[in-house]
Amino acid sequence: MVVGDIATGTDVLVIGAGPGGYVAAIRAGQLDLDVTLVEKEAYGGSCLNHGCIPSKAMITAADVAHEAGNAEEMGVHADPAVDLAKMVEWKDGVVDQLTSGVEKLNKGNGVNLIEGRAEFADENSVRVAHGGEGQGSETVEFEHAIIATGSRPIEIPGFSFDDEPVLSSRDALALDSLPDSMVVVGAGYIGMELSTVFAKLGTDVTVVEMLDDVLPGYEDDVKRIVRKRAESLGIDFRFGRTASGWEEADDGIRVATEAMEEEAAAEADGGSEARSASDESSGDEPRGATETFDADKVLVAVGRQPVTDTLNLEAAGIEPNDDGFIETDDRARTEKEHIFAVGDVAGEPMLAHKGSKEGEVAAEVIAGEPAALDYQAIPAAVFTDPEVGTVGLTEAEAEEAGFSPVVGQFPFRASGRALTTGDSEGFVRVVADEDSGFVLGAQIVGPEASELVAEIGLAIEMGATLEDVASTVHTHPTLAEGVMEACENALGHAIHTLNR
Amino acid sequence: MVREFKLPDVGEGVSEGEIVQWLVDEGDAVEEDQPVAEVETDKAIVEVPSPVDGTVRDINAEEGEVVAVGSVIITFNVEGEAEEPAEASGDANEPDEPAADPAGDAGSETAVDADEAVETPEGRVFAAPSARRLARELGVDIAAVEGSGPSGRVTEGDVRAAAEGGDDVAEPEPAATGTAAGGADDSAAAEADAGAESASAGTTGAAGGTAASVGSADRDRTLAAPATRKLAEEEGVDLNAVPATEERDGQPFVTPEAVREYAGAQQEAQRADTEALARREEPAEREVREPYRGVRKSIGDQMEKSKYTAPHITHHDTVDVTELVETRERLKGEAEDRGIRLTYMPLVMKAVTAALKEFPVVNASLDEENEEVVKKQYYNIGVATATDAGLMVPVVDDVDRKGLLQIASEMNEKVQKARDRSISIDEMQGGTFTITNIGGIGGEYATPIINYPEVAILALGTIEQRPVVEDGEVVARHTLPLSLSADHRIVDGADAARFTNRVKEYLKQPELLLLE
Repeated sequence: MVVGDIATGTDVLVIGAGPGGYVAAIRAGQLDLDVTLVEKEAYGGSCLNHGCIPSKAMITAADVAHEAGNAEEMGVHADPAVDLAKMVEWKDGVVDQLTSGVEKLNKGNGVNLIEGRAEFADENSVRVAHGGEGQGSETVEFEHAIIATGSRPIEIPGFSFDDEPVLSSRDALALDSLPDSMVVVGAGYIGMELSTVFAKLGTDVTVVEMLDDVLPGYEDDVKRIVRKRAESLGIDFRFGRTASGWEEADDGIRVATEAMEEEAAAEADGGSEARSASDESSGDEPRGATETFDADKVLVAVGRQPVTDTLNLEAAGIEPNDDGFIETDDRARTEKEHIFAVGDVAGEPMLAHKGSKEGEVAAEVIAGEPAALDYQAIPAAVFTDPEVGTVGLTEAEAEEAGFSPVVGQFPFRASGRALTTGDSEGFVRVVADEDSGFVLGAQIVGPEASELVAEIGLAIEMGATLEDVASTVHTHPTLAEGVMEACENALGHAIHTLNR
Repeated sequence: MVREFKLPDVGEGVSEGEIVQWLVDEGDAVEEDQPVAEVETDKAIVEVPSPVDGTVRDINAEEGEVVAVGSVIITFNVEGEAEEPAEASGDANEPDEPAADPAGDAGSETAVDADEAVETPEGRVFAAPSARRLARELGVDIAAVEGSGPSGRVTEGDVRAAAEGGDDVAEPEPAATGTAAGGADDSAAAEADAGAESASAGTTGAAGGTAASVGSADRDRTLAAPATRKLAEEEGVDLNAVPATEERDGQPFVTPEAVREYAGAQQEAQRADTEALARREEPAEREVREPYRGVRKSIGDQMEKSKYTAPHITHHDTVDVTELVETRERLKGEAEDRGIRLTYMPLVMKAVTAALKEFPVVNASLDEENEEVVKKQYYNIGVATATDAGLMVPVVDDVDRKGLLQIASEMNEKVQKARDRSISIDEMQGGTFTITNIGGIGGEYATPIINYPEVAILALGTIEQRPVVEDGEVVARHTLPLSLSADHRIVDGADAARFTNRVKEYLKQPELLLLE
């Protein structure tokens, strides 16, 4: 403690006001705990300010523009003009509304808000440095702390986010004019979502990915549909390549890439032997061969890393693991009984909804409630075109876990509602245990997959069987009927598809 | 066709019940509405009726077992239908569906028999989040709970049942058998340890007693030769405890002979104690453990809730009831002629009701949620009744509107039903004030616990002749000690005293009740 400094005391100190931190703070406030929330930048964290919300806003706007311009089949002729600055302004309005809402909710639940960057002074206090010159700092002593500092985009050698043509996902969502061309490094979900946005708005997009397909971790048929649609939007994929650097060129920049060595690529792919046969760009060129791409901007979206290096964790007696994550138990507790970690800092998957749930649990545990992280599955969604929504186990994972999986599938081309939206590519796949009928997972790729997957999430948590879902009357005509039909298909009595 | 019968929700807030007695056996024919079991819930025993005409196929719970509401306790074969269980669970959902429907057949192939135990890979437990939370609340390891839901899903009822009867929790699957056996060994070892501990404690205590009997001197200072001190040390004897045979310079002096004699006596005493201990019963039987559940637990829960929710104050007083005793003597014969036994209780109920009308705050409850004091304009008086199973409180409704004999008759009937356990839950609900009579057993004052959410309870001591000072003379009068506990959140001490004073007036001059 600084001499002359008076420490403030609090029951619960929450560091970071993202979806993990602000939810924890609100819940702790609801449980009559004295809560202090420290945020260095903006309420809502990456999710509201630089991630989920702004990207989804931009995706929606890009969809509107793209669909309006591609609806001749439905007899609609339009030639939409995109004003990116206006679009970003609208997006910022959405973000402002949400972040101010978060601030109000915190205040309304009695949460003390402090702006500044917190770092541990010892196991029971933090030093909060206020932003700006001469703003000083203060000490906050706590009974319990919840670390929710989230994550930041990973930089790669040769590409500094400080350089103007190099964009992080955050920068890409704040552009005031549309680049004519863009190289996107990384075909994970962030790279794919933003590639889709810019392609739909009219930018020439080239995606450079060191693996041999998009969306690592997803099943091949899911990847294929997303990749094909991206290609049809004009996105050019260069698989099996890494980006090595960039330089100013006559009219923009030139991004240099290198072909991956086969072994290295295989290793990076988690040792997967299955290679996409349709990938033409990754196979035959000489190892280490360089190729350059001209563009206006380069977007680096190779992943995110937890923000644990600014916290002086050592003072709290906590050591992050090799990947920088703080390890926690099923109560969201760190190795220190009174310090919790939630959200991206607490490990994969780095998803806002996982962080929020962990935040709730941490607050409840502190309040003495019998809470625990005992969910069976965390859903995930990719807002590409078409969307991907997954939850629980794939067929292979179910088999590996010792179940006898049975799979039911329903193609959206058999869905009346999908056809009426003009978007009928993709499928709903449900995985269940054949012996018991318990629903174990779903992979959905297609329109509104991010929404549809929620039903299977509920089914998994409730221990529902295929019969339970199949026997639930679904509204017609909706996309959700596809979930019911997939379950019926698994039971061998689907109506609108031929049973296998 | 087999019809499963689940323990129904037999009363407000009842989540489980104990099967007291089966009234049928497997194979018995039953008719619809015929009682098949007696189930003890909350504070009553209820009879569970058969929902169908048929025969009893399986009885799934043993007498004495606590079962959760919603769990299947008995199955019936329904007359006129197939004896075997339906194969497809889907059939039950769509009884009108023609059997020839190919889709239906396909469905039945994958349908799962709910009774079939499902082995879950990776120890994964299928249960809703609410059931998981409940398990954590009750400290139940959900992985060890056998599920009774579809395909073996663990329901909240299963979790409650597991929490209630620790023994009922499903044993872990084969791999864990060794562990279970190990657990048994551990507990046996623990018991043995406990036994050893209490044995040694016993020895110490007994030895102390014996030493005293041989005359432990227990002085502060004792003179002795160095050799004698050494001897005492060797024999493990405290020199100050050895009876002194001589004195030196006015101080007790101990000789080596005295030390040897004392040490010998002590060893003898110890041996005797050890033998006595060996003859004693096994320590395991020193205490008897009984399950804390059913009515006993309901009473406990209710008392705990009352005591820790309503801050109790108890006001004590004594009233001269000589006239009441005489009045009751006169009326008793009249009542008997009409076949009704008249005790003091109906008279007290009348007096209390009259006083409640004047002090509405005592005939009230606190609606905590809405932050309102609810003053009741009806007078339902509970009569706390000791039964073999524990305390029950039958309620006589609308005492203000009923005559003394009707009150006596109703109360007698309900008290008897409480004692023979045939009272229903609704006959014990809706009370606005409770009277408890400890005097019947003996005693004067008590601190009765309020029958929450009521706000007051009156305890009656024994009516007997006690000395009373009248006009400066001590005379023998029949007196009744009164103890009124009240919820101090809304009843102040002054209210309690004024109310009790009013009750006293009615009891002292029972003819005042004629004005009521």
